[in-house]
Amino acid sequence: MLEIAGLAKRYGDREVLRGVDLTVRAGQVLGLLGANGAGKTTMVSICAGLRSADGGSVHVAGIDVARHTGRAQARMGIAPQALGVYPTLSVAENIALFARLAGMKPAEVRARVTEVARLMGLDDRLGVKAEVLSGGQKRRLHTGMAIVHRPDVLFLDEPTVGADVQSRSGILDVVRDLAASGSAIVYTTHYMTELEQLDADIAVLHDGRIVESGSIDELVQRHATASVRLRFEGDAPAEPPSGWEAEGELLVSTLAAANPGPAIAQVLAELGEDANRLKGIDLERASLESAYRAITGDTSRKEELDVVAA
Amino acid sequence: MLSRRSLVIARSGLKLVLTDPAPMVTTIAMPLLLGAFLIPNARATLRLRGFANATGAEYVIPGMAVLFAFFGITMIGTLFFREHAWGTWDRLRASSATTADLLVGKLTPLYLCYLVQMAVLFGLGYLLFGFRVTGSIMGLALLVLVLVLVLVAFGAMLVAVFSTMDQALTVGSLLGMVMSGLGGALAPSNTLPEWSQAIAHFMPPYWALEGLRKVSLEHGTLSDVTTNLLVLGVFAVIFAGVATFRFNASDAKVGNT
Repeated sequence: MLEIAGLAKRYGDREVLRGVDLTVRAGQVLGLLGANGAGKTTMVSICAGLRSADGGSVHVAGIDVARHTGRAQARMGIAPQALGVYPTLSVAENIALFARLAGMKPAEVRARVTEVARLMGLDDRLGVKAEVLSGGQKRRLHTGMAIVHRPDVLFLDEPTVGADVQSRSGILDVVRDLAASGSAIVYTTHYMTELEQLDADIAVLHDGRIVESGSIDELVQRHATASVRLRFEGDAPAEPPSGWEAEGELLVSTLAAANPGPAIAQVLAELGEDANRLKGIDLERASLESAYRAITGDTSRKEELDVVAA
Repeated sequence: MLSRRSLVIARSGLKLVLTDPAPMVTTIAMPLLLGAFLIPNARATLRLRGFANATGAEYVIPGMAVLFAFFGITMIGTLFFREHAWGTWDRLRASSATTADLLVGKLTPLYLCYLVQMAVLFGLGYLLFGFRVTGSIMGLALLVLVLVLVLVAFGAMLVAVFSTMDQALTVGSLLGMVMSGLGGALAPSNTLPEWSQAIAHFMPPYWALEGLRKVSLEHGTLSDVTTNLLVLGVFAVIFAGVATFRFNASDAKVGNT
């Protein structure tokens, strides 16, 4: 449904995309992961016909986006990262505008506006101006405007940023339903638990290329490692027990993760006086997040995600 | 000319403009208020110049209409620049609307608003202040239609050339005031200094106001205002040409919410 081949884009001296190859099938949710500035938004913008590429091609339902932009755009929907709603128009008017632009007849527009509003949990807010909606409701409206014409390919660029728990859950339900009805969905996010909840396939964009792709299980099996981390007041003991490594204030062991209880009891016993400086214990399971960090070599990733989540 | 998508965009643009009525109020209420103060003096001046039955509105209403129409250019803020601030511009672009759809769809509400402004001003000018047309009604109508085209093309040029709403509206208002002033909106251009009379011929308001006064005061026929219509048409083509040459739908613009 979406085929990207050799996609390249350069801003001045900086190569943002260096030959991206990617295919998304009908009914597939593809989680596109990458650090801030990795080129995810640029890639999505090119796919949506909003920017031109310096090389490569994008086909949506077999239509070349660069050559037949309008025809291709009619088959896709996009909810950009930045919120895009008309604040002075009502919820219904916002949704209806994009239904009409897609060529729907008036009766179909009315029916579809009601249906999308219900899907997005906004059916009791149809006549309300978007400017008075809560942040989460605006985010749901923003997503609803992208799906009103039942696109074959849907790009959701960080669709849950700023959304509350309920809104986030509602958006994930809609994504599941759309995929079940045959849409191909490209979902970029920093929240990896959402991709796990969606059971998405994953592509990792790093250094301008797709460096890894596959199901979450495949990526976890290939790259993730579980670990136990002991956090100390001040530096971790300079001579750690066997199977542990000191990293600043941390003692880290991947071996201990297999059986953490006894392993932690044993290491605390071996630490003697140093055990009194223990501040905390982190158990990190083998997850998409740890796989992602291993793939990109990003040791700061967990802290960055924590900041984003906060 | 008007595709289905441009009609859809125009319809939503009209709603957006109407949700912020300040520019329309400015372009209709202010000319009437200011006109009320200027008309007695204009009446006296016109009668001294031999127009025995003149009410003064024949001079003041067109002048105020043109002057404040340039202040109405703030509507391009809502129609173009705010779309960027709201994050909706790229959504429209991704909706398979072409650049022509976007431009025509966004400029049509501006054209309609200007037509309403002119119709209401001339209508209320007639009812309240005795504005009358001694010459060709068709001439008046065509002058208004072409003048509005010039104003819309001028707005499109501002959108194409400037990247921020503040720049576009400030320069647009200033240029509008200068062009209208030199063109005779505030005082007859032949009473202005010689240097400004020479410059006035390069100002669209001069040709609009001269034509409007011909049909309102001087029994002007359609053929009497043909030159005015042609020159205004040339200005519209020049402004629209610059706008078309410079406009790029993917340019980033900065608007105020």
